[in-house]
Order: sequence, then structure tokens, then C-alpha cells
Amino acid sequence: MSSIGMVLNIATTALSAQQYGMGVTAQNIANVNTEGYSRQNPVLVAKQPLLYGGLLLGRGVDTEQVSRSVDQLIENKLMQEKSNMSSSSEMEKYMQVLEGFFNENSGTSISTMVSEFWNGWYDISNNPSGVSERISLYEQSVLLSEQFNALGTDLIQLDTDLTGAVTSGIETINKITHEIAKVNGQIVSMEANNVANDLRDKRNTLVSELNEYLDVKAFEQSDGSLTIVAARGCTLVQGNSDYELEMGGTNGDRVTWQNSSGSYVDITNYLTNGKLGGWLDIRDEIIAKNQLDLDALAKEFIWSVNQQHSQGVGLEGFSSVTGKYAVTNPGSAITSSGLSYQDKVDDSSKTFNIWLFDTDGDPYDADTGTTGLQGNPITITVTSGMTTNELVTAIDNGTGVQASLDSQNRLNISIDTLEIATLGSLAFSDDNSNVLAAFGINAFFTGSGSGDMGVNDTISLNKNVIAAAQVGSDGTMASGDNNNALAITDLQSATVSISQWTCDRVNGNTQGSIISTIEDYYHFMVGAIGIVSASVSRDRSFGEMMVNELSTIRDSISAVSLDEEMTNLIKFQHAYAAAAKLIGVADEMLNTLLELK
Amino acid sequence: MRVANKAIYDSVKYNLGSISEELNKANEIVTTGKRINNLSDDPVGLTQSLNIRSTLASIEQMGRNISYGNSWLTTSESALTSVQNIISDTKVLCIQMANATIGSDQRSSAAGTVQNMLDEIVSLGNTDVAGNYIFAGSKTDTVPFDQDGTYNGDNNAFAIKISKNSTVEIGSDGEAVFGTVFNTLIDLKDALQSNDVGGIQVAMGDLDGHFEDISAKISDVGSKMNRMEIKDNILQDLNFSNTERLSKIEDADIAEAIMNLSAAELTYQAALASSSKVMTLLTLVDYLK
Repeated sequence: MSSIGMVLNIATTALSAQQYGMGVTAQNIANVNTEGYSRQNPVLVAKQPLLYGGLLLGRGVDTEQVSRSVDQLIENKLMQEKSNMSSSSEMEKYMQVLEGFFNENSGTSISTMVSEFWNGWYDISNNPSGVSERISLYEQSVLLSEQFNALGTDLIQLDTDLTGAVTSGIETINKITHEIAKVNGQIVSMEANNVANDLRDKRNTLVSELNEYLDVKAFEQSDGSLTIVAARGCTLVQGNSDYELEMGGTNGDRVTWQNSSGSYVDITNYLTNGKLGGWLDIRDEIIAKNQLDLDALAKEFIWSVNQQHSQGVGLEGFSSVTGKYAVTNPGSAITSSGLSYQDKVDDSSKTFNIWLFDTDGDPYDADTGTTGLQGNPITITVTSGMTTNELVTAIDNGTGVQASLDSQNRLNISIDTLEIATLGSLAFSDDNSNVLAAFGINAFFTGSGSGDMGVNDTISLNKNVIAAAQVGSDGTMASGDNNNALAITDLQSATVSISQWTCDRVNGNTQGSIISTIEDYYHFMVGAIGIVSASVSRDRSFGEMMVNELSTIRDSISAVSLDEEMTNLIKFQHAYAAAAKLIGVADEMLNTLLELK
Repeated sequence: MRVANKAIYDSVKYNLGSISEELNKANEIVTTGKRINNLSDDPVGLTQSLNIRSTLASIEQMGRNISYGNSWLTTSESALTSVQNIISDTKVLCIQMANATIGSDQRSSAAGTVQNMLDEIVSLGNTDVAGNYIFAGSKTDTVPFDQDGTYNGDNNAFAIKISKNSTVEIGSDGEAVFGTVFNTLIDLKDALQSNDVGGIQVAMGDLDGHFEDISAKISDVGSKMNRMEIKDNILQDLNFSNTERLSKIEDADIAEAIMNLSAAELTYQAALASSSKVMTLLTLVDYLK
């Protein structure tokens, strides 16, 4: 009885093994387009033979396991390249936005406007008493300031957008790590019996997705679970637990990780690659540098114009003039008083002049106390360590003039109220101490960066105070004098030292400086953005190529080929038919036996 | 190597993607006619083109300055030439009036002519360009000469820039230009009225001096105009060469750009054709019945 029964048994194992094989083939066909799916193969082995009647006899076939065709080395390399590529492709996107901000192919670009600003001063120097030239320069300057403001705001907005992207990025990361932890748990419990192929594929896909966001290292533990570690050794997944990233820091723009002792570690600067790395590179290196450089440019531009403008005089003087920059501490030296331009002040006994004029415009002689065709100025000497309060007193001591700090701690210089009947106006000249410009007295621009740059409202109210002229050494003023306007046009080709920043996420921001004209500095800045953008684009296209190559290799190992599966299908089908036939033959044999009567 | 079905579709996607990117770039260059459409297309070229554009803007401004300066200088020249003619007419009159055959009433009527000439010179001294007095120094809004020749301007001649670092005086210090010509004419007028032949002869001598001074001034103005013209020619050359350089940097070589576009088009079509073949290729499935 035993041998026919054995044939039946063997046939049964064959039927189930081939059926199983069909099942695996069906699974492969179904997943022909599934990203990250690795094709599976049933591993068939002959069952342990049995000693029977002194002979070894086979007992059929068994499906030992279903193996995955996967090369983990290639998978890891592919993940890494995907991580690189998503970093550079995000950077490319944001660089294109940045390029748009500095688009020079339009009439409203900063470099065109700066050229027109200088040309406006040339026009005034041609016709110093002309009204239309003054209005045109004013309008030009307002547009230029607004363009600086807009660029500053755009950069801040881009910075905010990137922080937003990082925030939603870490939400996604947390979701993925949570999912990986869950899959880890499932794999560990399932793999007590068998290899959990599909779950492993799923986990691989999750790790690959995670890699698109940030650079992680994954280690497989002996129980089959995957430990995932990000920058600076902070563990994101271990066994079936996951550890979340959070936005932190004073401005809520830093990426932090909670360590085992519960305290938050700032890991922002150590996140490289992936979308997160790309966003942070753009935000903390490129945008940060351009913000700092643009501010440095605006600061130096405002200063050089103000420094010359404050020493000139318009078509009329002032009866009272208030500076545009405030001190924070009037009691400390001007050079450390908190003025935006305190470092420009030279207090080594340098001087500036205040001129007074009577109501007819004739100069006042501060030496004799009379007015006439010629005059002498009040000369203020800025001594070493002079405080703002001391400066106020020194000016106030001059005959016919009074000085004070207003409620916002800004310097005001006026005609003495006692002399107002005879003295009509005052003007300034020959300031080598830079005090006037530092306090914003008779300034052209206000502000000290790209964000707050503006045209002095004194000028917007009265274009006649645009200082195209200079008070003569004898105190005379002439409407056709264009000396100050000419001096301002000189600034176009003057080289100055302008701060230039290097921003590095690990080493921080370092300030350097270059000697350059205002225009060249800006042109250089725009060129540098183009260079970075071009190199990011190259990285992206290289990354794309690498990912494509590696994907091809990966697919040649792991992806499904329908031709193969069809062949397998037929292979299993025929084997199944043969096994069925075996049962039929065994059946006939049994019948033959049973019919023996 | 095994070729999986997915790999075929993925590679079609990647290749068509990168070829259409090239096609798009080629098309952008042809349609805009510019090589540089984004900062990253050629950052170095872009920086150069920004510098050139700023130079061009300066050149244009200097051109405006020069033509403005020329209008002042031409006006000065014609005003001074008229003054010179009047001085020379006055001298002719002096020669006639110094003649012993001339009677006192003829001399005193000539005094009237001299007064007219004086008025004429004062009015020429008060010549303006668009409301700006050209002989008033930098007090361009002040009428420089009173009827008696008193000077109200100042001694700083009005100057403008004709290049980054050179200025040209286009206006004049009227006091220096006209000197004592008014006094000479007033003295002459008095001498004629008082029939003082000696006085007429003194004036005659002075007029020679004034004639020389004004001549010198006219040739000075002439040489300035000459300088302006040379400068203007240089600027035009610079403008031309810079515009040409800018075009070389920024503008696309259209013939080359169109060739590149056609090449990209051809590649794209070939890729589409081969991709559609590969994708519709039958698999074993189609043969199994």
C-alpha cells in the first residue's frame, strides 16, 4: 500500500508547490509597476528522502522559502544618490526664485536704477537751480530705495518660506519614521517563521523616502528590525519606537531632536543632503549671505551719499533741522553711542562748520556777531571721546544757534529762538569729523540697510534742500553753485570698503570686506548668484543621471520582467498538469488493485 | 543584463525629460534672441554686461552734459563776438570823433550812440540760456550787470563734468570777461559830451586792450568747444564699441541658435519614435494562447 500512497503524497506536494509558484508569479506580475518592489522566487527543495526497504526514496517537493532578488549595496547607494539629487533639485528650484529677484533684464533692476540715480545728480549739476531736475532726482531716489526695500523683503519672505518647507518636511519625516517603527514591529513578529519579503520591500521604500528628506544611516539588527540614525548620531527609529524631530530655537526655525535624557539638541547645521539639507543650505548659506551683503551694500551706499550731502547746502538753509539717526545713550562717547554709523565718526579733534544767515540770506559773522556780505562760521571741534551730550552743549554754546536731543534722542540744531527775528537760516559745511552724516543732519537717505532705506522726509517736503551747492569759504551761497552735486557724482566711481560675508552652516557667518565701487559690488553679487545657481543645476542634472543609472542596475536585479514571469507561469502550469496526471495514474493503479476480486 | 519592464518605461521618461529640457533651452535662446536669459546661463558674461550697461548709461549722460555745455558755449561765443563787433565799431567811431574837423555838437550826438552801444554790451553781458545767466559766475539766477556795468555775480565760473574726472567751465566770471569795458565806454561818452579829444584818444587806446581781451576770451571758448567736440567723438566711439561688446556677450548668434534648435528637435523626434516603438513592443503575453 505504501508505495502508491507515496506517489499520491509526492503528487500532492508537487501540486501545492507548483500552485505556490503560480501564486508567487502572480504576485510578481501584479507588482510589475510597483516602486521599490523586488521580484520574488519560490525556492523549491526536494523533501528529505525516507529509508524504505533498504532504499532511499524521495518524498516530494517542498517550498522552502520565497526569496527576494535584491542587492542591498545597490539599494543603499541608490538611496544615497536620491538623497543627493533631492537636495540639489530643491536647491535648484529656490535658486531660480532667487535669480528672479535679481533679474537684470528689466528697467526696474537695481543696477539700472543706481545708474539713473547718479545721472540724476549729473542733471542737477548741469542746472542746480532747476526744479524739474530736483523732482526727478527725488523720484528716482524713492524708486531706488523702494527697490532695495522690496529686494530685502523678498529675501526675508524666501527665508520664511524655506522655514515653512523645513517644518512640513520634518512632519513628513516624523510620519515616515513612525511608519518604519511600525513595520519594524511587524517584521520582527512575522520573521519568527519566515522572511517577510513584502514588508521588507515596504520598509526599504520608506527608508528611501526618508532619505529624500535627510541623510540617514540604517543598520539591520539581528532580530530583523532596522535602526535609523540621522546626523550627529541622533536615533530616529529603534525597534518599534520612533523619536520625533521638532522645530525649536528662539525663532522656531531650528531643527531639534529630543535625546534620551529629554533635552533638545539643535541638529540643524549637521543635516546634509535630502530636501531638508537643500532647504537649509539655501536658507542659512545663500539667502543669509545675500541678505547680509545687500544690507552691507545699502549701508555703504546710504553712507557715502549722506556723508557728501550733509556738507552741502540746497537753494535755502534750515531754520531747524533734526537728524535721522538716534543715539541710545547720550552720555557715552559718540563713537559708542548706538548710532547706526557710530564707527564712521572721527573724534580726533576733527571739525565741522555751522553757518548762519540773516533773513535776507546774507551771511552772519560768528566772530563779530554781525551780518554782512561775508561771514565766518561757528566751528565745532569733535574731541576724543566726546559724548552726544557734550556735542549738544558745544553747539548750543555757539551764538545764534541752539541744539538739543528730541524725544527719540535725535539731534536737533536750530536758530536760537532769541535771534529768530534777525537770523533766518543755517547751513553746514566742511565736516571731516563725519558727525553730521552720522547723526543724519542734512542727510539725503535715511536707514542703514536694505529694509529701512528711504529718502529723508525733509527732502520729500521741500526739494530745495537737496544740497547741490556748498557754502563758500566766505559764507556766500549761490543758486548756480553745483560743487556738492559734482562731488556726489564723483562717488559713482569712488571705491569704498564694503563688507562681504561668507556664510557656512557649520563654521558660522564670517565678515570680510572688499574695496569696490557701489555698482561693481552689486554686479559682483548678481554674478555670484548666477555662478551658484549654475553649479546647483549641474549637481542636479548629475544627480539625476546617477539615480537613473543606479535605478537601471537596481531594476535589472530586482524589478519584474513580464517575459520571465510568463515563462515561469507556463513552467508551473506544466508541472502542475504533470502532478495532476501523476494522481490520475496513481488512481488507476489503485483501481486496478481494487478490482482484483 | 536583465531588462525589467519598469526599466524600459523609466528610461523612456528620463531620456525624453532631458531631451525636452535641451529643446526648451534651445527654443528660449531662439525666441528671445539672447544667450543669457537667466543669471545662471553665463554668470561671468552677465557681470560683464552689467558693467557695460552701467558704462553705457554714463556715456549717455556725458553726451547730454556735453550738448548742454555746448549750448552755453555757443551762446557765449555769439554774445562775445557781438561785443567784439561793438568794440570795434566804437573804435571806428572814436577815430572819426578824434578828427580835428569834427565839431562839438557832432561829438555830443555821438555820445548818444556810445550810450546805445553801452546798453547793448550790458544786455549781451546779461545773456542767459534757459533762464541761467552765463556771465554771472555761479550766481546763475542773478542778473549779472546793472545798467552802469556794476557786477552782481561772483567769481566762480559755472562748470560741469564732461567725463568722470574732468570738468569744463561753460559759464564765465563776467567781471573777468568784460573787465573795465563799461567804464571805458562811460568815460568815452563823457569825453564826447564834454568835447574832450584827449579823453577820446585815451578811450581809443583802452578799446584796443578790450578788443584783445575779448578776442582771447572768444578763442578760449572756441578751444573749449573744440575739446567738447573731441570728447563727443570719443564718446560716440565708446558708445559704439561698448554696444557692440554688449551685443556679443548678450545676444545669441541666431544662425547657431537655430541650428542648435533644429538639432534638438531632431533628437527629440528620434527619441519619440524609438520610445513609442519600445513601449508598444509585444511581450510574451501576446503570444500565449
